[in-house]
Amino acid sequence: MTTTAPRPTGAAGKQSLRTEILEARPVNLDGFVEEWPEKGLVAMESEFDPAPSVRVEGGRIVELDGRSRDAFDFMDTFIANHAIDVASAEASMAIPSAQIARMLIDPGVSRDEVLAVTRGLTPAKVLDVVKLMNVVEIMQGMQKMRARRTPANQGHSTSARDNPIQVAADAAEGALRGFAELETTLGVLRYAPLVAIALQVGAQVGRGGVLTQCALEEATELELGMRGITAYAETISIYGTESVFVDGDDTPWSKSFLAAAYASRGIKMRFTSGTGSEVQMGNAEGKSMLYLEIRCILMAKGAGVQGLQNGSISCIGVPGAVPGGLRAVAAENLVASMVDLECASGNDQSFSHSAMRRTARAMPQMLPGTDFVCSGYSSVPNADNMFAGSNFDTEDFDDWNTIQRDFQVDGGLRHVRENEILAARNKAARALQAVFAHLDLPPITDDEIEAATYANSSNDYPLRDVLADLKGAQSVMDREITGLDLVKGLESAGFHDVAENLLTVLRQRVSGDLLQTSAVLTADFTPLSAINDPNDYAGPGTGYRLQGERWEQLKKLRHVTSSTNPETEVG
Amino acid sequence: MSASPPPELTAADYPLSINRPELLRTPSGKPITALTMDAVVSGELSPEDLRITPETLQLQAQLADASGRPQLAANFRRAAEMTAIPDAEVLAMYNALRPRASTGAALEEMADRLERTYSAPVCAALVREAAEVYERRGLLARPVADPDQ
Amino acid sequence: MTTPTTTAPERTVSLREVGPARRGTRPDEVVIALSPAFAGHFTRTIVDVPHAEVLRQLMAGVEEQGVTARLVRVLDTADLAAISHTAARLSGSGISVGVLSRGTTMIHQKDLPRLSNLELFPQSPLLDAPVFRMIGSNAAQYAKGESPQPVPTRNDQMARPRWQAKAALLHLKEFDCIEAGRGPVEVEAVFGPGTTG
Repeated sequence: MTTTAPRPTGAAGKQSLRTEILEARPVNLDGFVEEWPEKGLVAMESEFDPAPSVRVEGGRIVELDGRSRDAFDFMDTFIANHAIDVASAEASMAIPSAQIARMLIDPGVSRDEVLAVTRGLTPAKVLDVVKLMNVVEIMQGMQKMRARRTPANQGHSTSARDNPIQVAADAAEGALRGFAELETTLGVLRYAPLVAIALQVGAQVGRGGVLTQCALEEATELELGMRGITAYAETISIYGTESVFVDGDDTPWSKSFLAAAYASRGIKMRFTSGTGSEVQMGNAEGKSMLYLEIRCILMAKGAGVQGLQNGSISCIGVPGAVPGGLRAVAAENLVASMVDLECASGNDQSFSHSAMRRTARAMPQMLPGTDFVCSGYSSVPNADNMFAGSNFDTEDFDDWNTIQRDFQVDGGLRHVRENEILAARNKAARALQAVFAHLDLPPITDDEIEAATYANSSNDYPLRDVLADLKGAQSVMDREITGLDLVKGLESAGFHDVAENLLTVLRQRVSGDLLQTSAVLTADFTPLSAINDPNDYAGPGTGYRLQGERWEQLKKLRHVTSSTNPETEVG
Repeated sequence: MSASPPPELTAADYPLSINRPELLRTPSGKPITALTMDAVVSGELSPEDLRITPETLQLQAQLADASGRPQLAANFRRAAEMTAIPDAEVLAMYNALRPRASTGAALEEMADRLERTYSAPVCAALVREAAEVYERRGLLARPVADPDQ
Repeated sequence: MTTPTTTAPERTVSLREVGPARRGTRPDEVVIALSPAFAGHFTRTIVDVPHAEVLRQLMAGVEEQGVTARLVRVLDTADLAAISHTAARLSGSGISVGVLSRGTTMIHQKDLPRLSNLELFPQSPLLDAPVFRMIGSNAAQYAKGESPQPVPTRNDQMARPRWQAKAALLHLKEFDCIEAGRGPVEVEAVFGPGTTG
């Protein structure tokens, strides 16, 4: 593969043996570039970013970060009209940035007190504040400012062959291990209906109440959501410059309309943004990555979405390549939280060959806790990850669980014994077999079920007839199959508990409880959000602490020597 | 639907599905408690029954306001209006708001339709704002189609 | 250090402008749309596959299916979906292949939403000559109304760590070659000498 060959050194004369070893280290396969601030190839310290300013006249913002209203682009207009609290803007903007930064980390200042200030700030002012914070301070701020008290985690379940049985089995295992949300996507878009169905079924087998999504083009994703085949949507992308937003074929208004469309069907959603997207798409308009990301965050706030996926996401190789990039990434998660949005905080895209770097990158989210520490831990081997690879995959499960135990930190996952996993995978495959039969889709064989139970990757499954599956997928759309049909299929085949789980998830659409900030559904189907689980961190001994029964759960690993009988392991 | 004024909620009422299920109905008027497996199996439930009503969205908007989230509440109020719009038209309207997808006249027509046909003034205001901004920023469609493009 | 070995001269290509691109009427054509800097400012993909080779393989793949390949350069955008969709709307069959200088490629169809596609090859470092040939072949099959097996997508999750920043730099340079307001132009590939068979 192109990425694994070491670079030739080409130096004349004798080389240090140590240098040879260092040259061969995985970290030297990563891509690093020099900053180019004029083009926006800079993390967060750029002389080309605007100075903060605001002017209010007649109840409207007429100047924003040095630009007057008649020169606003559509991002400025949207932010000025919808995101910033006009009544408090001038007063909040007058507070010195250092003071606001101190409020963020001071345990004696409550989250609500901070929000009262941040609601009146412009993008450049927010940048000014976080630029004063080092990564430890950013983490401290995150601990207080995340919206939901209890941290959670999100996983990916995909297949390099878009094999629905794999997606179902891996979804079941992922749900069992603790992911509160699961996401899928396709190599071949036309496979979407079958894969989305598989994700939903598998998730409800693993742990009833897990929420599922299928990342697609906007209108198609909304359609699948409307049908109840998926439970929420996330990859509704926004961008920090007008030109790049338009290249993405949307505007803040179309995206706001789309956000309301989801809510009108009772479906949870969040936007997605991330540092580096604008420069990667060729037009950062000379601004730093974090400045543009803060514009995105405020645009999301103005649209009235409950939350945001950010932390560079698929562009992580870009901030990852410049100095201070991962500090900027930690800062963007903090900014989302400090303007009271749910934050699904990245850690979802491969960005380094170095295991040390991959782990370090996630610490600013894992240690303080965020609403979703990963917005896509790969619950399948990375070779099967159709998001082009996540920062973590199935091979890292035991390390992740160990780090939770090492630091007494709840990263949303837990160790599960093999027999439980096998049972869940097997059941998910059988449940999907039943659903496919009920829907007259190309059948799933018992060989495929056996393979799914013990498989690691898509290579471990028999090949399916892709063209027949694609025809079946089209018929799912043509026949207007909905989540209710899945419930009927599961129930009639005897999977009563799975059917009931899915019905309970669908029923939440009627209540709208999952529309509130940071909402998830617990294992006993209670909606848990920033309203009934608000983050009340106020210093040592307060806020969410990993203790009690949950801590006992997270003490378990694959091999722990028993202290009552050191010749055995704790079961 | 009942004619009595909507209840006034506080954050303590959340989640409605656990604390105030009696307030929750489907668009066809069934109480949320009627959404049982028996009803699914007997065919009594249709996909339409798994949708949210405008009244419920207004309740969630109250909860959003009560928890200090006015933009979220505004989103829910737009959503409440949009419950009346069929799926295909919602998608069409979304597509019409994308860059260079509509002329100014088409957007104005859409805003009118939202107001008159769907009693959706908050959505209409969003569309009108978009039209004004798109015009200023060159994001409206050109009125005459070039056959070669 | 080793003495440089003589390498066979590499085939080159330049794109000669023929005129404004018009909508085709023949149903047995695929339009191959090239980005502003393709075979111009840049001459090879991100992993050094010569643009001449990319074109040769795409065109051969199309022609093997008995379909004609028409080349067009899009000048006013460096966005792959926009390039591909513009080309699809010009294509008599409605099918197009869009290619960026760094190699990212897409098969598009005129009735699909711009941000959708028939097949997408987003990881430019993983695209080599055989893959380009298969892409050309699949596009032609779609043009004939057939349903080919999608080209198997290689997946290298380490492509992003290694190449993403360089790809961003290349994209910035390609962006600089955009000529706003210019419509797509039909081009003819002029291959230069080379011994690669």
